[in-house]
Amino acid sequence: MGGITEMTIGLAHYLTVSAILLVLGIFGIFLNRKNVIVILMSVELILLSVNLNFVAFSAFLDDLAGQVFAMFVLTVAAAEAAIGLAIVVIYFRNRGSIEVEDISTLKG
Amino acid sequence: MTWTLALPELVLAIAGLVILVAGVLPKQETFFPVSMACIGSLLLAAVLVLGQPEGTALGGHYVADDFSGFMKLLAIGGAAIGILLSLDYNTKEGLGRFEFPLLMLLATIGMMVMISANDLLSLYLGLELLSLPLYVIAAFNRDSARSAEAGLKYFVLGALASGLLLYGSSLVYGFAGTTNFDRLADAFSADSGVTAGVVVGIVFVIAGLAFKVSAVPFHMWTPDVYEGAPTPVTAFFAAAPKVAAIALLARVLVGPFGDLAGQWQQVITLVSLGSMTLGGFAAIGQRNIKRLMAYSSIGHVGYALMGLAVANDVGLRGLLVYMAIYVAMNLGTFAVLIAMRRKGRAVEQVEDLAGLGRTDLGTAVWMAVFMFSMAGIPPLAGFFGKLYVFLAAVQAGFWTLAVVGVLTSVVSAYYYLRIVKVMFFDAPAGALDPAPASLTVVMAASGLFTLFFVLWPAPLLAAAQAAAAALLG
Amino acid sequence: MTQPLLAEYFPILVFLAIAGGIALAMVGGSLLLARQKPNAEKLSAYECGFEPFDDTRRRFDVRFYLVAILFIIFDLEVAFLFPWAVSLGGIGWFGFLSMIAFLGVLTVGFIYEWRKGALDWE
Repeated sequence: MGGITEMTIGLAHYLTVSAILLVLGIFGIFLNRKNVIVILMSVELILLSVNLNFVAFSAFLDDLAGQVFAMFVLTVAAAEAAIGLAIVVIYFRNRGSIEVEDISTLKG
Repeated sequence: MTWTLALPELVLAIAGLVILVAGVLPKQETFFPVSMACIGSLLLAAVLVLGQPEGTALGGHYVADDFSGFMKLLAIGGAAIGILLSLDYNTKEGLGRFEFPLLMLLATIGMMVMISANDLLSLYLGLELLSLPLYVIAAFNRDSARSAEAGLKYFVLGALASGLLLYGSSLVYGFAGTTNFDRLADAFSADSGVTAGVVVGIVFVIAGLAFKVSAVPFHMWTPDVYEGAPTPVTAFFAAAPKVAAIALLARVLVGPFGDLAGQWQQVITLVSLGSMTLGGFAAIGQRNIKRLMAYSSIGHVGYALMGLAVANDVGLRGLLVYMAIYVAMNLGTFAVLIAMRRKGRAVEQVEDLAGLGRTDLGTAVWMAVFMFSMAGIPPLAGFFGKLYVFLAAVQAGFWTLAVVGVLTSVVSAYYYLRIVKVMFFDAPAGALDPAPASLTVVMAASGLFTLFFVLWPAPLLAAAQAAAAALLG
Repeated sequence: MTQPLLAEYFPILVFLAIAGGIALAMVGGSLLLARQKPNAEKLSAYECGFEPFDDTRRRFDVRFYLVAILFIIFDLEVAFLFPWAVSLGGIGWFGFLSMIAFLGVLTVGFIYEWRKGALDWE
């Protein structure tokens, strides 16, 4: 073993994780061809990456505003998820399917 | 405590809650009385906005100035007329549930919070308070697959947009150390070297807001949602929320990021060019008139953003005048579209208007006025809207914008005038049902405004001038 | 060196050991001390309305969605109560009444869903 140097988790690490989560979320929305629920999960993933950013910055800047912001994002995300699920249920009632490829009645 | 400054929003919120309880308690459906109560509350809020003093409140999260007053009155007016437009249609289509006007009222509170936002947090909360009711009313026709699909698409892309906006906000917060607009402005004017993180954050924020105003390249949802949603919902989408989102975009870019104009002017210029071009060309082949109006609204956002790209007082005044005129003629146009019913069924193809000039001259004349105005033909209001932004662009040396604006206006005139031609020169496709009084009133009101704006433009210009000055502060 | 990093995580190890110990003690205690009188119903896993062993992709009642949707809102909005309660001493009457107003808004939502029949299963 060459000896592991001491590693501290710094701001850059948090930002990197959060950027990866953001990209995963965006790709989850656009590359997903199967199920609308996965899209809802991707949206949550994006919001979580934002929260991670806010909390990391808040700790780094020693400023509480970021954590308050994260709290609001969390609760608004819950309301958003509830509305999203409700719309998915309505959609399923009408079409009998929530496959992403079926969502193409409207185009032109 | 300075929270009384936010009186219009507070009164509207309390009115909304009271109306919600009063609407859900009775056994029978309360659509009509609740609609009236919502319009009444909106008018009350408009009066309160008129009497609102200037200043900041709620720990710097809320600001009231001439700009917020101008935009709020526009948004409230658009929302109130939006509710009025829905009365007849919703009753006939079986959508007469009292939640509908109430959701519009809640969305209006969101718009007012957005317009008065002075902090990234209140910006986000206002935006979500606007968006969440809109997702619901887009899917309001629960038994229609098209409406559900419109709601689903709007939800997914809207949620993505607010996610991007939030990510941008978090970067701006992290690299500038604050979320307050005033302190952000100080931070950016103090040190000239702006970090890359802030610039990336601003780009994300612009992307998120461009989604909401449906500007190219974030416009994909617009045609589908406009076509699938019930027509009064489309009318509402095209007017009030667009005003609020444009106001927010202007406030964010000119306020806290005002000293970084060099960074975002190019982005807005590109967005404006793209929107004008797409709005001009993509609408040509459309046969569904709601879809056509979607592309038309994308184009109009492009013209309005031209004023923001210039980013001086003349440009901002042009932007504000443009939005006011756009809202007026758009509500009139949608009053005609909502009135398009044949034998009790709503129709929405361009051909369904054929021969309207012979079967219902009044509606056809108003529609022709709106179409000429949207195409920008003098001396109608739409011409002056375009004139002010084009002048601002030319004065500031944005020649590309002005030239592309004129060219795309000519292109878009083709499809506006095609509607006029279909109405007056094609063989009638069977008479449309007579328009109900509420729609005729809206058509006449906005038609008269569009026709006679040329005679009396001074009040609107002065108000827009004061608002632009307040924003540049 | 690796030493400081490991030392930082030592409390987690202790926590894991305690958690495992308590879990073992509870299950073991129940096995040793309680009276064992199994029947088929008792031995089946407790699930609200589902067969405990079934295909994971089976569809389930859409009403579960409604319950979940209502739950998630009221559950998460309560997250604001904790910071409010902790800082109640420092935020004065304005802070206190703000939360009362917030709870009032939640109550209006509750009245709405009650009157709409969202709380009835049938």
